[in-house]
Amino acid sequence: MENNFSGGGSNSNNKNNNSKTIKNKTGFTEKMLKNRYYPIVFLIIIVFVSVSLVMLLSNVTKARIIAQRDEAIISQFKVIFPDIQDYNSRDVYYEIYSGGAIIGYAFIAKGQGYGGEISILIGINSDFAVKKITIIANTETPGLGTKISENFFIDQFAGLSSSEISLAKDGGKIDAITGATISSQAVVNAVKNQLETIVEIIKGQQK
Amino acid sequence: MTKSPERSVAKEFLKEVLKGIVASNPVFVLVLGLCPALAVTISIDNALGMGAGVLFVLLGSNIIISLIRKITPGLVRIPVFVVVIATFVTILSLVFEAYVPLLYKSLGIYLPLIVVNCIILGRAEAFASKSTILMSTADAIGIGIGFTVAMLLVSIFREVLGTGKLVVFGNTVFSIPVLSESPLAFFIMPPGAFLVLGLLLGLFRCLGVLKSE
Repeated sequence: MENNFSGGGSNSNNKNNNSKTIKNKTGFTEKMLKNRYYPIVFLIIIVFVSVSLVMLLSNVTKARIIAQRDEAIISQFKVIFPDIQDYNSRDVYYEIYSGGAIIGYAFIAKGQGYGGEISILIGINSDFAVKKITIIANTETPGLGTKISENFFIDQFAGLSSSEISLAKDGGKIDAITGATISSQAVVNAVKNQLETIVEIIKGQQK
Repeated sequence: MTKSPERSVAKEFLKEVLKGIVASNPVFVLVLGLCPALAVTISIDNALGMGAGVLFVLLGSNIIISLIRKITPGLVRIPVFVVVIATFVTILSLVFEAYVPLLYKSLGIYLPLIVVNCIILGRAEAFASKSTILMSTADAIGIGIGFTVAMLLVSIFREVLGTGKLVVFGNTVFSIPVLSESPLAFFIMPPGAFLVLGLLLGLFRCLGVLKSE
């Protein structure tokens, strides 16, 4: 135990005399390297330097990264709202602005397809009818399920309200893709459910 | 001062660089860093981006680790190496996200995973922690270029066979008439990566054996 304490003591002495002992470099370095607390101190210094560096760079690049993300989001909205000038995030949906006025809303719906999750971006007009939908990401079967992102399918949603969105066999206005009924159904369900939920929220907030 | 020592240093430097590219190519000879070599070689752009990223991290970590090699306690050397490498990877991913967002997006998870790329930790442990800064720099340049070359080779085969054309930074270099209409999509998918890499590994091994005989 006594040895331990003396080890600790000499460590702090070394640190205090850092500038004085720099002349006697070899002796100091040897002493320092042998100290049992040296590895811990060294690691702490390395981590401290590393974290400060990263924080500094993070501050420098922050503004640009946010701008890039904004641009990426706007370019996705542009597919649906070509006149978009600005947008405003409202937790679960986005307000789309053009010329200072809200021209519509956009939100994301997720459905469980045949091969995994399908992400859909839905744009609606201010009268809550669908303006256009786009498939952002899907992992459906190539050549069959992936047809959900083709225009002939997604264009069917334009102008519909939530009550009209269901497959033709269930009395709705959407024709399923031949050979990809599960994928079609997944998109229809996701759009319909999310549309109902979001419209309720928007109406609630407008009151 | 005579000229000969300078020349011999330059010679050593060049030898070290060349060694990394050919004789101990990280992918084809050392068989390290296969995870990104399989996963990101879908297109030439990705392969180039990944290669440049690894080169940068390798250069940074090799120089710093060589610089602090005499004061690094052996007991905590691996944590120290990992912290140094992780710092450079974080710097890289911040810069990529800010200035080349498309590349950042397509590299995805494989960019932060450079931290655990065994090429970089391997060079730190086997080379930089025992060599001078100059030689560590040469080693990093050689291994980095060697990795990039390997990535390029794999991705050229996969992109040309899998899509029927070669696109570099958005410019189509050439397009094969029949293949571009009905491409062999198999090569773009993961099994294609294994096949191409396996064949290239075999080829390099064959060349190595022939040369040594």
